[in-house]
Amino acid sequence: MSEPQADFEPKIVAFLCKWCSSAGSDLAGVSRIQYPANATPITIPCTGAVSPMYILSAFNKGADGVLVSGCHIGDCHYIEGNYLARRKMHLTMELLKFIGLEPNRFRMSWVSAAEGAKFAQVVTEFVDDVRKLGPQDKLRKVVSQ
Amino acid sequence: MSKKRTGVFVCHCGTNIAATVDVARVAKEMADENTVAFTQEYVYMCSEPGQESVVQAIKDNKLDSVVVTCCSPNLHEKTFRDNAKRAGINNFTCEIANIREQCSWVHADKAKGTEKAIKISRSIVRRVNRNNPLEAIAVPVTKRAMVIGGGIAGIQAALDIANAGIEVILVEKQATIGGRMLQLSETFPTLDCSQCVLSPKMVEVNRHPNIRLMTYSEVQEVGGSVGNFRVKVLKKPTFVDPDKCKICDHCTAVCPQVVPNEYELNLNARRAIYIPYAQAIPASFTLDIDACLGLNPVVCGKCKDVCEAGAIDYDMQPQTVTEDVGAIVVATGFDLYGQENMYEMGGGKVEDVLDGLQFERLISASGATHGHILRPSDHKEPKDVVFIQCVGSRDPAKHCAYCSKICCMYTAKHARLYKKHVPDGRAYVFYIDIRSGGKGYEEFVQRTMEDDDTLYLRGRVSKLYRKGEKIKVMGTDTLTGQNVEIDADMVVLALAMVPSQGTVDIAKTLKIGRDKDGFLAEAHPKLRPVESVTGGIYLAGAAQAPKDIPETVAQAGAAAAKVIALLSQATLNRSPLIAKVRPSHCTGCGMCVEACPFIAIRLENGKAIVNEALCEGCGSCSATCLRAAIDVKNVTQLQIHEMIEACLA
Amino acid sequence: MINIQDIRDTARDMLAKGEARMVIGYRRGTRGMLAEPAFITDPAQADDLVWDPTCFNNLSLYLVHDKKFLAHMRENPKGPVAVVAKGCDARSIVVLLQEHYFKREDVYILGVSCEGAGVVDERKLAPLLNGERPSAAAFDGDDFVFTTAAGEKRLAAREVMADRCLECRAPYPKEHNLVFGEDKTGRQLEAPFAALERFEAQDAGQRWDAWSQHFDRCMRCFACRSVCPMCYCDECVVDSITFPVTAGTTAEEKATRIKWIERSATRSENITYLMTRAMHLAGRCTDCGECERACPVNVPIRMLNNKMEREAREKFGFEPGASIGGPSLVATFLDSDPGQFIR
Repeated sequence: MSEPQADFEPKIVAFLCKWCSSAGSDLAGVSRIQYPANATPITIPCTGAVSPMYILSAFNKGADGVLVSGCHIGDCHYIEGNYLARRKMHLTMELLKFIGLEPNRFRMSWVSAAEGAKFAQVVTEFVDDVRKLGPQDKLRKVVSQ
Repeated sequence: MSKKRTGVFVCHCGTNIAATVDVARVAKEMADENTVAFTQEYVYMCSEPGQESVVQAIKDNKLDSVVVTCCSPNLHEKTFRDNAKRAGINNFTCEIANIREQCSWVHADKAKGTEKAIKISRSIVRRVNRNNPLEAIAVPVTKRAMVIGGGIAGIQAALDIANAGIEVILVEKQATIGGRMLQLSETFPTLDCSQCVLSPKMVEVNRHPNIRLMTYSEVQEVGGSVGNFRVKVLKKPTFVDPDKCKICDHCTAVCPQVVPNEYELNLNARRAIYIPYAQAIPASFTLDIDACLGLNPVVCGKCKDVCEAGAIDYDMQPQTVTEDVGAIVVATGFDLYGQENMYEMGGGKVEDVLDGLQFERLISASGATHGHILRPSDHKEPKDVVFIQCVGSRDPAKHCAYCSKICCMYTAKHARLYKKHVPDGRAYVFYIDIRSGGKGYEEFVQRTMEDDDTLYLRGRVSKLYRKGEKIKVMGTDTLTGQNVEIDADMVVLALAMVPSQGTVDIAKTLKIGRDKDGFLAEAHPKLRPVESVTGGIYLAGAAQAPKDIPETVAQAGAAAAKVIALLSQATLNRSPLIAKVRPSHCTGCGMCVEACPFIAIRLENGKAIVNEALCEGCGSCSATCLRAAIDVKNVTQLQIHEMIEACLA
Repeated sequence: MINIQDIRDTARDMLAKGEARMVIGYRRGTRGMLAEPAFITDPAQADDLVWDPTCFNNLSLYLVHDKKFLAHMRENPKGPVAVVAKGCDARSIVVLLQEHYFKREDVYILGVSCEGAGVVDERKLAPLLNGERPSAAAFDGDDFVFTTAAGEKRLAAREVMADRCLECRAPYPKEHNLVFGEDKTGRQLEAPFAALERFEAQDAGQRWDAWSQHFDRCMRCFACRSVCPMCYCDECVVDSITFPVTAGTTAEEKATRIKWIERSATRSENITYLMTRAMHLAGRCTDCGECERACPVNVPIRMLNNKMEREAREKFGFEPGASIGGPSLVATFLDSDPGQFIR
C-alpha cells in the first residue's frame, strides 16, 4: 500500500442510477451541500445495468475508487434492477477483496432521490477513505509516458 | 461511421455555474475533442436568445449532435432536444452534461470544480459520439381503464373516469363494493352518516353505463405496459345469480352454518350464505364456499330448496377473464395493524378491548348492536371508556414509525359519539399530541374536549389487563407527571393503519414499488404523488399512505384525471432507449430472459428477441450478458467504456 | 468399483445400434500414464476406453467443440453424442443445458461416479515417485496404484488426489442417462473449499503479494479459456480478436468492438482478464479444475472460481449445475441476498 500523500487527489468514478442517486445528487446540488469534487458521475439507467466489467475496467483505467449508487431495495424504478445489482456487486466486491484490493476502494450505496444530504455524505466519506489508501496501483494499467 | 460533428454549448447559468466553474476553459477543452466542431458559451443557454443561438449554430455549422453543459437533464433535456429537432437534427443526438447540480453548486473550489466539469462534459461528448438517431416509439392506446379496489377511492376514480366517457372495469375482492368507508358509522368533522353519503355513489357505480363491476374478483396477473396492459382477473363463484336474487333473506333463515362475520369485524356471526350489508352492491347474496357444508344437495341444499327465485346455482365455476386496459388505478386501501402485535395492550386477548373499526360497527345503526353501545363480553353499556391513540403508530423502535394521520380525528369522533349514546358515561383519551390539521378539524377536537367533557390525558398507556368486570388501564399523564389508573369498561385502540394485505399482493403482481412502510410508492413525493413508478399505473387512497376520506377522494379524482389525460391520446410516445440484441454475439443462453424484470425478452431460434413494447430500457440484460450481446440503445457498453475513460483521463 | 468393461460394452452397443453417432470417452494416451480424450465412432474401438485416476479432462468441452464444428459445416446433428462424465463434468453439461447450448436429447450422459476417489494431481505425485515416471495408474480401493519401471507403487489416494477431488461435494453425476459406479456422495475427504480457506486466512497484503506474482506470470496463452467448456463464447469480451468476421459482419460491428484491455500480457491486463473470467464463470463453473491444470505457469485459477462458488453457495444458497431447470446465479436474486456491504 502506498503511503498517504497530503496532495493526493483520488480519482473516483461514480455510477449513479438515473432515478434515485442521480436525482439525489441533483438534490444535494439544489441544497448546495458541499462535498469533494473527486467523484465524476456517470449516469446509467439503473444499478442493474452496471456490469462487473465496468468496475474492473474503471480500476484498470486508473480509478482510485469506484462508487455504485442506486435506489433503495424496493424502490427500483425497474422493480428488480437493484436486486440484481446487489448480487452482482457483492460478487465483484468479494473477488476484488480476495486478490487483496483494499475493500474501501469499491463502494455501493443506496441513495434515494430525496437523500441529497446522504449523497453528499456518501461521497465525502468515500473520498476520505480512498484518500487514506493513496493511489490505486494494483489494477491500474501502466501507461508509458 | 463518419466522424461526428458535435456542438458543445456551455451555459454560465448566470453565476450559478460560472462562479465556481471556469466555463471558458470547459469550452476550450471541449473544442480539443476531435469530434467537436463548434463550441459556444452563453450566460443563459435556456433563455429564448440562448435557445435560438443553439438552433442557429446547429444549422450554420452543420452539426449532427449536441451537448449542452448546464443544469440537470431533468430540467432542460427536453428543451434542448426540442431545439435539436427544430434545427433539423434528431433529438436523441442531444445530451445534457450536468455541471450545475452535480458540480458548480456543490464544489466551491473553482480549480477542482472546473476539472470535474471538464470530465463530465468530456464523458458526455464521448457518449454522444456513439449516439444513434432514434425515434420515440409510438404505441396505440387501449381506451379502457381498470380500477382495483372498490372502496371510496376506487369508486370515486371509477366514476370520474367513466364520466369522461371512458369504459372502466372496477375490480373488488369482497362481495360488495364500499370498502372501509361502508363500515364507518359517522364521519368527522361533520358527523354525517358514512353509508348515507357513500351508498348513492355505490348505486351510481352499479348503474353507470361505462362501469363494469367485478366483485368477488381478484387480479391475478398483469402484463404489458402503459397504454396496453393485459390483466387476468379471477372471478370467484358466489353461487348466487345477482340478476335473479331478490334479497328475500329466506336462504339465511335455513342455512345451518354459522361463522364469524368479517364484515362486522367478528362482532357477530353470519351464515354461510349471506349478504355483507343491506346496502351491498351488487345487491345479492353470496355463498361462502369455505363455510358451506359442501354444495351437495345430499348433505344440505337447504338454501337452494328455499330460493323461490332460483338464484342459487351450485355449479357456478371460478372464471378467469382477460381484460385489456390502457391504465390502472390501484386503490386497495388499508388494514389495521394487528392487535396481536400490541403486547402492552393485551395482545388482542383482553375482552372488550376493541379496535377503532370494531367501535365503528358498534355505534353504527346497521351494526351488530343496531347502534347501541354494548360491550361484547356481557352486552352491558360501558360507563368508562378509554380511547388510546397512536397504538402502533409513531413507534419506530417496535412498530410503525409513521403517523397514521386519521386517528386523532376519529378518536375525537368516537368520544363524541360515545357521549351522545351514553350521556352519563365518561370518556378518556390517551394521546401523545393532537394532530388536527384540516378544515374544521381543530374545532371538532376542541368541541370534543370542551363541550363533550372528554378527559384528554397526554401520555402513553404502559399496560392494560382484565380485572374482574373491569379493564385496568395503567398510564401516565405527562402534563401533571402523575401515573393514571383507570378502571375501564371498554378500551378502544386507535391502531396504526397499514397497507392492506391486498396491497402487498397487488404491488407484486403489478410490479410497482412500495415504500419503507409497505405503502405503494409514488413516482415523486411532491410532484408526482398519484403516479406509481410504473407508467400508466396510478395510486389512490390509503394504499399509498394513511389519509382521510376527503384526501382520498381528492387523490382518486387526481388519479382519474391522469388516466383521462393518458387515455385521451391516440398513441403514446415511449422512450426508444431500449434494449437491442447483437445477434452475431448472442448464443441464446437465456440469462437476459431470466434477468429482465419486464418479461420483455424471449428466445427465438436460439437468439434473444426484445419485445419493444415491453422493454423499459433498464439495462439489466446488458449487465448480465456475458458476451455484451445486448445493449441499451444510446447507453451501450461501448459508450460507458469510453465515458469511464473520459472520467479518468 | 467401476468395471471398465461395462462402459466399453455400452459404448460398443450404442454405436452398433446407432443410438449414438459418437462416444466421447478416455483412452490410453501417448505420454506416460495419462489418459486422453477419445472420440469413438467405430464400435470396434470401444475397447480402447479406459477409466483411471488420470481421466482429468472435462469431456463436456468436446460437446461444445462438436456443436461448433457442426455449425461451421452447416450440418445438423444426426443423433446424440454419448459422453463419459464425472460428477463435475456432468454438472458442466447441466449448465450448458441450462444455457440452451444444446438439447438434452442431443447428449447421452454416461455418468461415472468418482466413488471413493478422484483424479491424480501430477504436481503432488511427482515428488512421491522420486522422479520416476509412471506408465499407468489405477484405482484400487482407497489407493492409487502406479506402474513404474521399478515396479508397482501404491499410494493412498488422498495423498496424491487433486484438491478439487478431495473437496468434491458431488462426485456422483446426478444428471445421467446411464451411470457407472455407486453413489458415494458425502465421501468427501476434505472440507469443501479447504484450500481456498487456507489461502484466505492470510491478510490482504499477503494475498496481494501472492496474486500479484500469479498475475505477473500469466502470459495470456488462454489455455484456461480453451480448456473450459463454459468459455464457449465466439468472442471473448476481453479479447475481441476471437470474433469471427463473416460476410454478415457490418462495418459498424467491426468498428464498435470494445477494447476493454490491451493485448499485452502485463499485470493489469492479466488481472482484468482473469477477474472477468472469474465473474463470468460465477454460478457456472462446476469446479472441474481443468483451467488450473492446463495453466502452464501454475496460476491457481481454480481458486478465483472457487471463491465465487463459495460466495454463491454461502450467501445465495446457489449450487452450479444442480438442475437443468434451475436458475442462473447472476440473472436472479433472492430477497434475502446480503446487502450489509451497501451503505
